Amino acid sequence: MLELRLVQGSLLKKVLESIKDLVNDANFDCSATGFSLQAMDSSHVALVALLLRSEGFEHYRCDRNISMGMNLGNMSKMLKCAGNDDIITIKADDGSDTVTFMFESPTQDKIADFEMKLMDIDSEHLGIPEAEYQAIVRMPSAEFARICRDLSSIGDTVVISVTKEGVKFSTRGDIGTANIVLRQNTTVDKPEEATIIEMTEPVSLTFALRYMNSFTKATPLSSTVTISLSTELPVVVEYKIAEMGYIRFYLAPKIEEDEDEHETKPQV
Amino acid sequence: MGIKIVVGRAGTEMLTNEAGEVTSHLQGMFSRTIRLLEAGMKPVYVFDGKPPDLKKQELAKRYSKRVDATEDLAEAVEAGNKEDIEKFSKRTVKVTKQHNDDCKRLLRLMGVPVVEVYAVASEDMDSLTFGASKFLRHLMDPSSRKIPVMEFEVAKILEELNLSMDQFIDLCILSGCDYCESIRGIGGQTALKLIRQHGSIEDILENINKDRYQIPEDWPYQEARKLFKEPEVFTDEEQVELKWTPPDEEGLITFLVNENGFNSDRVTKAIEKIKAAKNKSSQGRLESFFKPVANTSAPIKRKESKCVLQSPKPAMKPRMFSVQACNSSRPKLTGGRSLPTLALGLKYSPQLSRGGCFAT
Repeated sequence: MLELRLVQGSLLKKVLESIKDLVNDANFDCSATGFSLQAMDSSHVALVALLLRSEGFEHYRCDRNISMGMNLGNMSKMLKCAGNDDIITIKADDGSDTVTFMFESPTQDKIADFEMKLMDIDSEHLGIPEAEYQAIVRMPSAEFARICRDLSSIGDTVVISVTKEGVKFSTRGDIGTANIVLRQNTTVDKPEEATIIEMTEPVSLTFALRYMNSFTKATPLSSTVTISLSTELPVVVEYKIAEMGYIRFYLAPKIEEDEDEHETKPQV
Repeated sequence: MGIKIVVGRAGTEMLTNEAGEVTSHLQGMFSRTIRLLEAGMKPVYVFDGKPPDLKKQELAKRYSKRVDATEDLAEAVEAGNKEDIEKFSKRTVKVTKQHNDDCKRLLRLMGVPVVEVYAVASEDMDSLTFGASKFLRHLMDPSSRKIPVMEFEVAKILEELNLSMDQFIDLCILSGCDYCESIRGIGGQTALKLIRQHGSIEDILENINKDRYQIPEDWPYQEARKLFKEPEVFTDEEQVELKWTPPDEEGLITFLVNENGFNSDRVTKAIEKIKAAKNKSSQGRLESFFKPVANTSAPIKRKESKCVLQSPKPAMKPRMFSVQACNSSRPKLTGGRSLPTLALGLKYSPQLSRGGCFAT
């Protein structure tokens, strides 16, 4: 038996909008800790990890750990039928092959039940170890979305370099090049407008802009975004979800084919 | 990869150079390799070295088939049956040492590494029994045929068929492999049934109806099994050095245009393509950074999965994936067992040489 009541139903709507284009089908895992999801895109280049902690729900009942396979496109279709102020309740019975989304209007005068078929999904779960990142950039999420959108009109890839001076986003394409530098800036009126850079070592990594642009669909969830970078690790682009959790996107870097590098780098 | 699969031709006509020597194999090899490079892959071509003794039987069979086909072809040409001409002429294709050497020379000029080994992973399923954990089919089909690449994963197959690796090897031997004959009347279906029922070839031989199924007198299934389980592989010391280098432009033009009559414009354009592809950085994949773990939560409802060969829902779920997505980068490999997988197009990636980090 599973019953999760989320007063701020719009959060779930936004979560779905941010991941449905990246991942087609995914298993939602329910446990005492919370409602979570981990899924990779079909080419295994990007991964999304979602957590909505149980404390964030008004009512959270999950008798045993279960996973529910859903088609995210279909789930999004159903959630689009919920109003932005609606309270959303997710319900599933043991042994059932459907899940029910119940939408209640704030005034309780309209109640809608949408039942969706579950799917059997074989998915690989990756263990993501806690890591110390060499550079962590926190910046306004709208600014990050703007940069990714602008750069993708010039090139396919973005080089993100973090140095003492700031964070640089650059690209190169057939028509020319583009460089955008953001400096650390903490003297703003509102804390969410700050750009904060924590760095232990300079980092420079290349990523496909196509994926970055897809991640920025989560911008409505949070006014800030945190980008964590380390050489040898996928980048993490994290959006906090109110007080109750996060959505993290992991993206494997592009590997620069530098002939000299092969010569000098010893193979272990 | 044997070049048997890259000889591009139609009907009985072969592409030839001025001296009348066949060049179809070069054309096919050239264009398809460029396609792989453009998709960001790093191909390694593996050529047959000395075949294992067991394979000689199969090779002899192929030879006699070719002789048959040559006769059939002559008939078909006389009768003017187009379909038959196509069918039989395909079977008469014989790869000579000259063809192999041509291809090797071409590949070296293109900067693609060439390895010679004694057993290779190929278009057939044998590679799975050799312990390659993944196997791609249709990777080298001409793009014009638009056939999606199929991926087979041995762990999934075993799980779906509910067999152990040993049983899977026996199943493959029974259904017919390159290394020994199969029993007349036993195909994939019967073989699977027998393995399920009896567990191993030994037990099957004890229980089987000998009148119905004729077991070949000299049936070296044990040797075949040993070959699958303990193939001769490269050890760490004799590691194969794989290196992708920039193409040798002049060499390619001399070889293809001057010696083999290729159109020089097309070759120049193709060289540009190779160079562009080599400069492209390749996309890493998450499995090279994070290891798969078991998921702790149980599905809310697990449908009973039942599996038979040729069930309506295919037992081995072929997964389609775009060629763009496959990549690899470090040009070196360690250990021998991974060789068959690598020969198939190096799907995995940077951590390969650093060892350890990915269980496919």
